[in-house]
Amino acid sequence: MANLKEVRDRVMGSMGRTMFTHVAEGPINALSTCRDGSQVVLAGRNVFKIYGIEDEEFLERANLRVGRKLSLNFSCADVAWHQLDDNLLATAATNGAVITWNLSKSSRSKQDQVFTEHKRTVNKVCFHPTELHVLLSGSQDGTVKLFDLRKKESASTFHGRSESVRDVQFNPHRDYYFSFASTHENGNVLLWDLRRPDKAERFFTAHSGPVFCCDFHPDDKSWLATAGRDKAIKVWEVVPYKQIQEVHCVQTIASVGRIKWRPQRRYHIASCSLLVDFSINIWDIRRPYIPFAAFEEHRDVTTGITWRQDPHIFLSCSKDCTVYQHVFRDAKRPADHANPMGLCFNVKGDISFAASEALGGGGRGKGGSGMYASTRLPSFFRKNPDPTEQFRSVNSNLSVFTNRTQENPTAMDWFVKTAENYCLTGRPLSELCEHNAQVARQLGRHQIVQTWLMLKLIFAGLGTVSDKGVVTSPSLGRIVSLSTTGGQGDLLDRVSQHNETSTVTDMQEAKSTEPPGITKEKDPSEPGEAEPKSALPQSQATDNPAHADLTHVHGDFFFGDGEGGGAYNDYDSLPNMDHIQDWTLPGEAFQPRHEIIDRNPSPEELDRPDSPTSINESETVSLSNEKFLKGTVLSPTPMNPSFLDVRLMSPLVVDMLHHYAEQGDVQMTVSVMIVLGDHLKDQVEEQIQEHWLMSYVDMLGCFKLWMVATEIIKLSYLIGVPSVGTLNQNSTSIHSNCNHCSKPLTQKGWLCTRCQKLVNTCSVCHHVVKGLYVWCQGCSHGGHIHHIQEWLRTNRQCPAGCGHCCQYT
Amino acid sequence: MFVARSISAEHKDLIHDVSYDFHGRRMATCSSDQTIKVWDLTDDGDWQCTSSWKTHSGSVWKVTWAHPEFGQVLASCSFDRTAAVWEEVVGESLASTQRGQSHWVKRANLVDSRTSVTDVKFAPKHMGLQLATCSADGVVRIYEAPDVMNLSQWSLQHEINTKMSCSCLSWNPSRLHLPMLAVGSDDTNPSAGGKVQIYEYNDNIRKWQKVETLMAITDAVHHISFAPNLGRSYHLLAIATKDVRIITLRCLRKEPNAGANPGGMSKFEIRQAAQFDEHSSQVWRVSWNITGTVLASSGDDGCVRLWKANYLDNWKCISVLRGDGSVSNTAGSSTGPNQLGLAGTGGNFGGSRGFKQGGSGQSSMWY
Repeated sequence: MANLKEVRDRVMGSMGRTMFTHVAEGPINALSTCRDGSQVVLAGRNVFKIYGIEDEEFLERANLRVGRKLSLNFSCADVAWHQLDDNLLATAATNGAVITWNLSKSSRSKQDQVFTEHKRTVNKVCFHPTELHVLLSGSQDGTVKLFDLRKKESASTFHGRSESVRDVQFNPHRDYYFSFASTHENGNVLLWDLRRPDKAERFFTAHSGPVFCCDFHPDDKSWLATAGRDKAIKVWEVVPYKQIQEVHCVQTIASVGRIKWRPQRRYHIASCSLLVDFSINIWDIRRPYIPFAAFEEHRDVTTGITWRQDPHIFLSCSKDCTVYQHVFRDAKRPADHANPMGLCFNVKGDISFAASEALGGGGRGKGGSGMYASTRLPSFFRKNPDPTEQFRSVNSNLSVFTNRTQENPTAMDWFVKTAENYCLTGRPLSELCEHNAQVARQLGRHQIVQTWLMLKLIFAGLGTVSDKGVVTSPSLGRIVSLSTTGGQGDLLDRVSQHNETSTVTDMQEAKSTEPPGITKEKDPSEPGEAEPKSALPQSQATDNPAHADLTHVHGDFFFGDGEGGGAYNDYDSLPNMDHIQDWTLPGEAFQPRHEIIDRNPSPEELDRPDSPTSINESETVSLSNEKFLKGTVLSPTPMNPSFLDVRLMSPLVVDMLHHYAEQGDVQMTVSVMIVLGDHLKDQVEEQIQEHWLMSYVDMLGCFKLWMVATEIIKLSYLIGVPSVGTLNQNSTSIHSNCNHCSKPLTQKGWLCTRCQKLVNTCSVCHHVVKGLYVWCQGCSHGGHIHHIQEWLRTNRQCPAGCGHCCQYT
Repeated sequence: MFVARSISAEHKDLIHDVSYDFHGRRMATCSSDQTIKVWDLTDDGDWQCTSSWKTHSGSVWKVTWAHPEFGQVLASCSFDRTAAVWEEVVGESLASTQRGQSHWVKRANLVDSRTSVTDVKFAPKHMGLQLATCSADGVVRIYEAPDVMNLSQWSLQHEINTKMSCSCLSWNPSRLHLPMLAVGSDDTNPSAGGKVQIYEYNDNIRKWQKVETLMAITDAVHHISFAPNLGRSYHLLAIATKDVRIITLRCLRKEPNAGANPGGMSKFEIRQAAQFDEHSSQVWRVSWNITGTVLASSGDDGCVRLWKANYLDNWKCISVLRGDGSVSNTAGSSTGPNQLGLAGTGGNFGGSRGFKQGGSGQSSMWY
């Protein structure tokens, strides 16, 4: 029966509820409960009251702050209720007095004895756990005093020479009857023997900064916890004749003002902060990073914690003038909010996954060891009834899932290969489509293949069909043979044949469609235009020689067409051409760009063969387009039904672009947009085009496909999205400082206006540098690359002697 | 098939977040043990920890990379009520420029929050160097570094009070639309209303305005993520709550005089595209692949599940990856051949109609 009653008592005890009372007088600095925990005394600067703790509420029992003269003696920094005598209280006053109170006194004022020996504020008072008349006090003046309450003055004074005393605490264990600890503002913790006031028995530096509190473990005799301004709670193992060791350390988020071990829970300790953080945290010292439980009721700094014997209930007081009773049932469990897993995709489709071992993230057979057992895991994990035992250090496992096979929906290899191999310009549209279809086919992307082939049929195919009646159409034959054989070698042959047959017709075409005036006007720009086109085959020559030849041959057409003579028939024509033009600068990189900038973007001109969609095709298409543009208005030629098709198709193709974009394949959208170029002019809002282009360029950036990205940026000019096209021209000017006087060079990059000297001479040989100049961005010194290399082999600092540690990385 | 490679992370407590950089060759992990570790992919495909340092005095909840345009920059947020910005410093000595330990320096400490900072995210690159944080007391803060070269100077631009305990946020990556943020709350009380709020920046009044609250989501939201917008006309938002949700937000045409009307807000048509409860209870994380076509989610069942929409816009599970590295492709294999077959027949190019079909059938195909 007795056993049953005990159990019931315990359950009843833990049935307490979270409750609080507000003390009107002001902030509370400390609290202490009587032996049986039924009453609590609250003390503060203006508060000194006793409350009874009922089941549902706090009831005020007595106000000890009475009397005519409320001296500073009533202003309490700390209060202690004797654990043997329910009538005996002690307070530490801010004026340095230590006062005892006898509740059994019949008078209104219960004040008993006043010791005014400390010179400054008394921070802490502490009764001996088993001796009735022994009281300790620790003061800001740096001393600890021992009082025998039967005497009128202190029995002994302990001076630790360690600055102010913040806390004193008797060792509660019988074996250490004479032992107590004091903590000091300089970070030291001193362990004393009551009988030896002259010298501390042991001392150690526990914290960097003041140690605000300490607490002996109620069960483990060797453990002492300390905490301080360095935000740490440390547990020390104090064993006689052995070095004092730090066994646990909890790093909290704010300086710790009070700590208190949780009864019956070996590893749990409650802490509250001195500033910033108003919550009370219960830590499991084995998991020093996340509080086991948190109580966030207080609205200001918590100043005192005391457990009510039951491990599930404790009291706290605060500067917000309230005293709370907290029960664990209402605790917050920060760990439950903590995300137990991390998950991230990378650009290549790899998945990085970190998960708590307890959630099967491990597969090491440790399931159920985590703290989530109570609520989340299926019931068979809930066998262990005590969640506190499961709150232990939990680890995560990190793994990366990679997948490089084509079937993988997240792998992005197709994207990289496609981006690298697609051909977007420089060749007839039909060939571009065919080529790109081929690329897609190799990657097994059949839908894309079909799309490209369809595009070819719609735009290139129909264009030639329309010409069929007017001129002989070699293009059509080419398409057919291409799609039937697809062999690259054949292509070359065919083109050479085509070369013979079509030169004349092409020239005729050009003449028939363009007035002579325009042809002439076009002439001067030709060399410049020819450059990018003839440069293209070189870049592709490695992987695709047939195409190289193909384009090259077309290049010849072009010259044949424009200048009336087929002078350049082989690869050597490229350098020759440079020579013939007699360019003074290596201007090939710049020339086309200026052409583009100065270009008058009238549709007629853009449609001319010198647009990037190259020669043969663009002639036929420009033919059809011009007819398309003007034909209805000007040209009396009868409409060919296929033109209607192109017009009908265009919105469809635009739909398709949108579709691919919606499907996340912006690559396809952009590629088609660029290949079709002017065919889709004005059919898609420029804003959306820009969005697509930038998305694609960003994506290319993700994969470090800078070359492709640059090409896309360059080409976006030509399809009329200059806002993207100018990207490459941003921040191309580098401002530098004179390397003599460090004056910023604003106007000229080579002459300093202040020292009238040539700048950027080599810092090693002091000669003007021609060619490669290396330059430290930090100190703006530099010079010949060889000289700097040589210098830095043996030195770390700048050769100019400026003291800068130059970095060339 | 996915191949799992286990990495010995050696964090001393839970890992709360993993984050790849822009190029996918670096990875950062953060843990309750108050450290961040940075991992680099070696040439032979191994992940090597190149840096590990103590960052906060509390659990580090999230870590995120800035766009490499701004340098090698990380942001982290913590239980200790701060968010921090870190920059990698190229070592002075030759040894550190080789694959050794790199050094990260704290450039800024953002201390405005009075409670745990639960998420931190850099804004999309086109908005400059901006950073959003959200905290447990419900305040979303938007910081900006006016000088992108000076990472130590961050000015608090906006404070949004969401009036709910925030757990996660996500920027809308679209450059076509107004700046947009989604914020989620892990408040467990279902009666407290919608747990996801959408905010949009109004250029006219220069303020963030709440444009939507997703009332359908009343359970605690643990993670939220906008899909990369590569020219999509609508926004996809994945939400990790007690199940996985995919929400589409389609911006309706603004009021004709939205420009003249300073309070004018965008209106959205909100549709739930999918809802999966295959993860037995809580879903903790969601992550999109780069094209925004595949969603990965992870939950209390310890699995990663991959979701993908088929050509009818039905989202299906295509793969289940177990935490221990094993892969069960049951879901994937059952739908895989089917999709192939459909796509094959979709390739009918008879005319304009066939073309369109082919276009839509494509979605199920491309890998």
